[in-house]
Amino acid sequence: MTDHSRAAGESRGTPYAPHTPETTAAMLSAVGADSEDDLFDIPEPVAFDGEFGIEARSERATRRHVEGLLGRNDDLTEFLGRGHYDHYVPAVVDDLASRSEFLTSYTQYQPEVAQGFLQALFEYQSMLVELTGLDVANCSMYDAATALGEAATLSQRVRSVSGDRVLVPDALREGKRAVLENYADGPGVAVETYPTDDANADLDGLEAALDDDVAMVYAENPTVRGTIEENLGEIGDLADDHDALFCLGTDPVALALLSEPASVGADVVVGEAGTLGVPAAYGTGHGLFVTREDYLRQVPGRLVGAAEDESGRRTYTLTLQTREQHIRRERATSNICTNQAWLALRTAIHAAWLGPDGLLDLAESCVTEARDLAERLDVVEGVRAPVHDRHHFREFVARTDRPAEAVRADLAEAGYAVHAVGEHEIQVCVTETTADDADGLVAAVEEVA
Amino acid sequence: MSFDVPDDCRYLESHEWVRIADGTATVGISDFAQDELGDVVFVELPAAGDELSKDEDFGVVESIKAVSDVYAPISGTVTAVNEVLTEEPELLNEDPYGEGWLVEVEPADEGELDDLLSPEAYRDQIE
Repeated sequence: MTDHSRAAGESRGTPYAPHTPETTAAMLSAVGADSEDDLFDIPEPVAFDGEFGIEARSERATRRHVEGLLGRNDDLTEFLGRGHYDHYVPAVVDDLASRSEFLTSYTQYQPEVAQGFLQALFEYQSMLVELTGLDVANCSMYDAATALGEAATLSQRVRSVSGDRVLVPDALREGKRAVLENYADGPGVAVETYPTDDANADLDGLEAALDDDVAMVYAENPTVRGTIEENLGEIGDLADDHDALFCLGTDPVALALLSEPASVGADVVVGEAGTLGVPAAYGTGHGLFVTREDYLRQVPGRLVGAAEDESGRRTYTLTLQTREQHIRRERATSNICTNQAWLALRTAIHAAWLGPDGLLDLAESCVTEARDLAERLDVVEGVRAPVHDRHHFREFVARTDRPAEAVRADLAEAGYAVHAVGEHEIQVCVTETTADDADGLVAAVEEVA
Repeated sequence: MSFDVPDDCRYLESHEWVRIADGTATVGISDFAQDELGDVVFVELPAAGDELSKDEDFGVVESIKAVSDVYAPISGTVTAVNEVLTEEPELLNEDPYGEGWLVEVEPADEGELDDLLSPEAYRDQIE
């Protein structure tokens, strides 16, 4: 076994890092630093000065240990939504995305050697442009929450907008809001809420909150409670009347069915692109970011553009990199100059495999499965579903006579996971991956409600 | 190669020019600067009403090979912005002292001009 303990002045490397103590010494000497500690200058309060406590084991023993840990997870059938959605990922996605040309820890951006990957990212962008009706999509952000944060800072930068307040619906998911607030903190953007009424945006409340110092209004469709937002056009108009940007949160499956963001006046569209191509077990997928050409120079992250080589063939390359921090440092549009290329590739493959008709069929099933399950739960004694008399997408809120937390806990005992979202409200999400388990869920609700 | 350095302007070492006429200062970048940058593809400018401070950056000129901040040769309030550059940034290359102007400013203190390079001094700098 390799000894990882470090004597003073010895390299911090591991057997997997390319730097020997000799090369480290040569590099330190070249830049005129005495030691790594001297070079990196990590403040004492945040410096890690302990042992990792990782014991060495054989591969076989490690595998057994990890399998044992995984075996301790609850094995629940998940009817959970609220931002994370499981759609069936066809085998072709794993198969193609696992090809060695694509599967690399190093994102392939060099146009001389990576035309295939760059083209796939360009296709991903083109798909989002087609679904949103807007002009420019980047080739992904970390997730929906960071994309929202980037939209907020973009709204502060564009010249057609002034002000530093951003309005979000009061029902915005806590995690998303926390990321947005982190983003907003540095540039001094104030995040404030406007009310929702029966899961729709409360237009009077929004109008009261709007002023000329609002840079952006954010709304989601579907909403966090699974309903289709009915006031998008009015929200877009209100934002426009106050010279604020209108940012819409959604996802590619919903976009196949719902009104085109461009048609309701959206200036920026953000959301979770990983609803396609990425299993929900990844925790999060990757964020989509689409906007109007007017704001092209303010787009965060990476953009793939189409060009021609000297013999006139269509080629692809990263473009407009002068926006990015590896070129412009502190004057960059964003401190992100990376993307989630491999996940975007998976999304593009999945979308291409479905095609426009397949995507529409999938989106329609998100409406009918949720409607059917809500109807079945509604006839259960002690349950009313859905709470909102509205079209739903994938998920809905149901009212329970018993405390929701008790219902949630009893359902977990029975092997089903749902969210408790209010004192007497549970939220249930169903997609094609759980539709076959709906009978079991209904039976379990009949037992515990 | 000799560059155009008009006698009716004053210059910053960072290659911006300023011309005062009827109490209004017009600001742009020099012929030498546009040649160094190469084809200009994008110009980012302040908005009318913004305040400029001498020697501080107030905009960005982007060419096919570089991105450069543009510095204010004089302090004051922006009274006009050359919006045409949004659509035709190449005017900066074609006519840097004319149609390629960047902003017009109401000077806070015309005395600041005395700190700037004369045309002769600027010619010396770039030759």
